[in-house]
Amino acid sequence: MLEKEVIQSIGFRNIIENDEVVGFQFKVRLPYYRGIFLSQLRPGTLCVDDMRFEREDLVWNINGKDHTYEEMKSDMETHWAVTDPAVIKVRLKGGLKQGFHDLTLGFCFTSSYMPPIMQDALDPDKENVIFMPEFGHHVNKRRLLIV
Amino acid sequence: MYQYDRKGPKRGIALYSYSAEYGITKNLEDCFEDMYDMGAHGMEILANTHIENYPYPSDAWIENWFRLLEKYEIIPVEYGHWIDSHVLGFRDLTTEESYEMLARDIRLANRLGFTVMRTKMPVISGELEPVKNWREIIKMALPLAEECNVRMCPEIHAPTNLSHKLVRDYVEFIEQTGTKYFGLNIDFSVFRNVFDANDKRRGGFTPSKPEEIIPLLPYIYCCHAKFNNMNDDFEETTIPYKEIVDILKEHQWDGYMVSEYEGADKYDPGYEVGQTLRKHHIMLKRYLGD
Repeated sequence: MLEKEVIQSIGFRNIIENDEVVGFQFKVRLPYYRGIFLSQLRPGTLCVDDMRFEREDLVWNINGKDHTYEEMKSDMETHWAVTDPAVIKVRLKGGLKQGFHDLTLGFCFTSSYMPPIMQDALDPDKENVIFMPEFGHHVNKRRLLIV
Repeated sequence: MYQYDRKGPKRGIALYSYSAEYGITKNLEDCFEDMYDMGAHGMEILANTHIENYPYPSDAWIENWFRLLEKYEIIPVEYGHWIDSHVLGFRDLTTEESYEMLARDIRLANRLGFTVMRTKMPVISGELEPVKNWREIIKMALPLAEECNVRMCPEIHAPTNLSHKLVRDYVEFIEQTGTKYFGLNIDFSVFRNVFDANDKRRGGFTPSKPEEIIPLLPYIYCCHAKFNNMNDDFEETTIPYKEIVDILKEHQWDGYMVSEYEGADKYDPGYEVGQTLRKHHIMLKRYLGD
């Protein structure tokens, strides 16, 4: 089972490779009532405290496989389920220091049954004018601890 | 497989209703058990939500699916899916690609025991017109749908009503092709005739009268029993349910009304949609004499 918050508390940690801290990762769930193919995803920006990471800097691990922003644009085969969180991985030498961190991540997704004019205006880093709970918020924030 | 022999209109539940709780406080089996408590035998799933590893579930998952159907006495009625022609941001899928996506769902629906599909068309305008090539896509899929014994049914949902051109276009297509594998799902939102003063959903919408459903009945393979407000006397206050159910009974329409709760309050903290569904099923039991 998942936490109700989009950014999950479990899964937030530094990434260690060959005894070296090379970055950090955390999990997000899809706040929609159905799963999506990766080409429907519109990834946005991640802010951690005063650091900013562009969508091109983020790796989305879905179903155990890493995906870059470029790769996801044309991937209409890989499906992200509402019950399986994605792992967001970020390269950052030394990782995040022990203590609290303020995470802000923007993302949204398209739907073929919505008017195309609404789809073209989607901005992952900005909320829709009208909030519809079954599409979730575009921008999600959470303050979490790294140990 | 479990058989439910009741004739005429029957009760079911669209698992969409659980979407605020699904995966957070409820899993698939919880939804089955809630339905069992209500004696609701017909289930609608959303393929992209409720099938693990969609569109390629494992054999173990499918085995468990049939175990759940048997244990909780559930008929797999309607398979909700989308023809996602706009799935790529930079171009639309071709007719053949759209067909391939649809064909994958037809085969999967059949594999899971479903006989009706709620086929969501991709749209091209603010008036929610379907893509221009919808007839070509559906025509291409008719032989496979027949082979797999599933009926593809777009849903007629407010602000579209029963006298809308879209309904005429679908009926014309059914009559011209003579097919029994493409039909309609009527969402009872088309009958809603009570709105709050500030409810934006009313804008420009003319509710259909319950009797307008009669000429369409031969083409309707499933209904979405949409409901908005149940009072504590177990009456729905916005849709003329008694009249609708009486018409379905009188005309011996043989199919499932699957309860679909779309109210935004289901996302409120602590909200249990199962209790709202139970109110609806007390009403439907009374009206059906079930």
